[in-house]
Amino acid sequence: MPLIRGSKGTTSGEISAPHRAALDSPDAESRWTAARALAGQADAVPALAAALDREPTPRVREAMMTALIRIGNAASIEVILPYLRSEDAGLRAAAIEALQALPDAIAPFMAPLLSDDDSDVRLLATELARNMEASEATRLLCELIEREHHPNVCAAAIDVLTEVGTPEALPTLEKCAVRFAATPFLPFAISVAMSRISGAES
Amino acid sequence: MADTATPAKARVLVVDDSSLVRLYYRTALETAGFEVKQAINGIEAMEKVLSESFDLVIVDVNMPRMDGFTFLRSLRSGAADVATLPALMISTESGVQDIAEARMLGANFYLVKPVAEAELVRHVCVLTGATL
Amino acid sequence: MDDSKGGSSHAAHISPEQVQRFCEFIYRRTGMLFTESKRYFIDRRLEDRIAATGSSSFQEYFSLLRTDADHEIEHLINSFTVNETYFYREDHQFRCMTASLLDAIVHQKEPGGTVRIWSIPCSTGEEPYSIALWLMENWPQVDNYNIEIVGSDIDTRALNAASEGVYGDRALMRLSRDVVSRYFRPIAGGYHQIDEGLRNSIEFTRANLIDPQDMRQYRDFDLIFCRNVLIYFDDASRRLAAENLYDCLQPGGYICLGHSESMSRISPLFRVSRFPDAIVYQRPEADHG
Repeated sequence: MPLIRGSKGTTSGEISAPHRAALDSPDAESRWTAARALAGQADAVPALAAALDREPTPRVREAMMTALIRIGNAASIEVILPYLRSEDAGLRAAAIEALQALPDAIAPFMAPLLSDDDSDVRLLATELARNMEASEATRLLCELIEREHHPNVCAAAIDVLTEVGTPEALPTLEKCAVRFAATPFLPFAISVAMSRISGAES
Repeated sequence: MADTATPAKARVLVVDDSSLVRLYYRTALETAGFEVKQAINGIEAMEKVLSESFDLVIVDVNMPRMDGFTFLRSLRSGAADVATLPALMISTESGVQDIAEARMLGANFYLVKPVAEAELVRHVCVLTGATL
Repeated sequence: MDDSKGGSSHAAHISPEQVQRFCEFIYRRTGMLFTESKRYFIDRRLEDRIAATGSSSFQEYFSLLRTDADHEIEHLINSFTVNETYFYREDHQFRCMTASLLDAIVHQKEPGGTVRIWSIPCSTGEEPYSIALWLMENWPQVDNYNIEIVGSDIDTRALNAASEGVYGDRALMRLSRDVVSRYFRPIAGGYHQIDEGLRNSIEFTRANLIDPQDMRQYRDFDLIFCRNVLIYFDDASRRLAAENLYDCLQPGGYICLGHSESMSRISPLFRVSRFPDAIVYQRPEADHG
C-alpha cells in the first residue's frame, strides 16, 4: 500500500493526494486503508465527504468517520451532520457516535440542532448535550423541553438531565410533567429525573 | 419486585440506550413477575443473548455502536437456539417503512414509544406465553 | 444511607441518588454494572476518590469524572478492580485459546505453519510468558506449528523487565510448583527467573496502540490479547485503537479483552463470538454490506 512520509517541503496536499484517489478504489480494503491514512488531514474533508456518501461497507464508513473525527474541525462536523437525518438507523448511530467524540467542536452547533424542524434530529442531538458542562447542558435542554411538543424528544432530553441536570432544571421538569400527565412513560421519567437532580445536591 | 420464592414467569432482555427506559420496563416487568436483564446497545445485547438464555428480547432501534435493526439481523442469522429468540421491537419511529423493515428482519412485534406499562406487560405475556 | 467514618477529614455523605447517578454513568461508559449489593463497596471507593481528587463534594467530583480530568476514570477503575499483573491471570481466556480458538485458527494452516499471537500491552511480561507456558502445558499440537509470540508495551522500562524475566512469588502464585520448577530457576533475593529459552522465544517490542505508524508494522496476527487497557481510553482513542487492532489481525482472527471490558463500549468492527470458556471477538472473514 502506498505510504508517503512527509518531509520538509512536502505539502499536506501532496501527502494526501494518493490516498484521496484511493478512496475511489473498487476494492473495500484499499478504501479502508486510504480512509485511515487520511485521519487528521484537513484538506481531505471534501474527498472524505464524497466517499462517505457512496460507501456501502460499514467498516469503511466507520474508518471514514474516524478520519473526520481526527480532523475534528467545523468542516468535518458539517459533513457528519446530515447523516443524523438518514433513513438508515446504522448511519444515524454512526453519526451520533462520531459527533459525541467531538464535544468542543460540536458546541456551536447545539442550539441549532436542538431547534431543528425534524424531531428525529432534535431527539438525537439531546445525546450530544451529555458531554457538555452541567449548567450549559441544563440550560440548552430546558430551553428545548419548554417548547417541545414531541414526547419522545422530551424523554430523550430528560434522560440526559437525569445524569447532568442541575437544580435549575426542576421548574421546567415540573411544568413538563403537567403537560404530559396523560402520556405514558413521561411522568415516570420526570419523577426519576427530579429525584436524581434534587438528591444530587448535598 | 417479584417475590424471589416464586420462579420468574420468563426471562426478558431489555435493550435500550436510555437508562430511564430500561428502568421503566424493568420496573413494570419485574412487578409482573418477569426476570429482567439489560443491555445498552446491540453489541452488549448479543453478548448477553449468547451467554444466558432468554425468552424474549425487547429492543430499541436508535442505539450507539449497533442499532436495533443491525442487532436483529445478527440475531436471526446466528446459531439456531439464538436465531429463534422472540423479539419485540419498540421504537420512536412510527413510519410504515420502519415497521415493515422490522417485520422483514424478524421482529415478532413492533410498538411505538412511549409505551404504557400495561400495554408492555400484555405484549410480553403474549410473546412469552406467560399468563398475566 | 449511613455515613461511613474512616478518619477522613471530610464527611462526604453520598446520597442514594448520587450513587445511582454514578452507577449509571459507570455502566454506560464501561459496561461494569454495580448493583445494590455492592453499595457499601461503592461508597467507600467514591469517598476515597472524592478525597484523592480534592473535591469538596460528590457533585464536584462527578463533574470531574464526566470530563475524565487527570485520567480520573483510570484511577477510579483501578480502585474498583484488582489491577496487579501475575501469571495465568484471567486464565479462562487461555483455556478458551487451547480448547476452542486454536482449532479454528489452525484449521486454515498447513502443519508447520505459523501461528502469531500478540500480547499488547504486555507490561512486565507475565501475559506473553503465560501464553507460552499455557501452550506448552495444555496444547497437544504445540510442536506441530511455528508459534510466534510478540509482547508489546508503550513503557520501555516494563519491556526491559519483561526481557529480564525475573519475578517474585506474588506473580507466580497461580502457577503450580511443578510448572515453576520446570520453567524457572531461583535466583538471589527469593526471585525466580524464567528459562532463557522462553525469554528468547518472545519478541518484545515497544508499540503504542493509538499510533498508526507504530501499529502499521504489526500484521497477520491470529490472536491478540488486549486486556485492561482500552477501558481507560477516551472515545476517540478507543475507536482508533480498535481500527488499528483490526488491521493487525488476520481476517477471522480473534481478540480477547479484559474481564470488565466489552466491545459494546469500544467498536462495532468485531463479531461477538461465544465459546464455552469465554466471549471473544473476531475480525470478520469478509465484509458484509
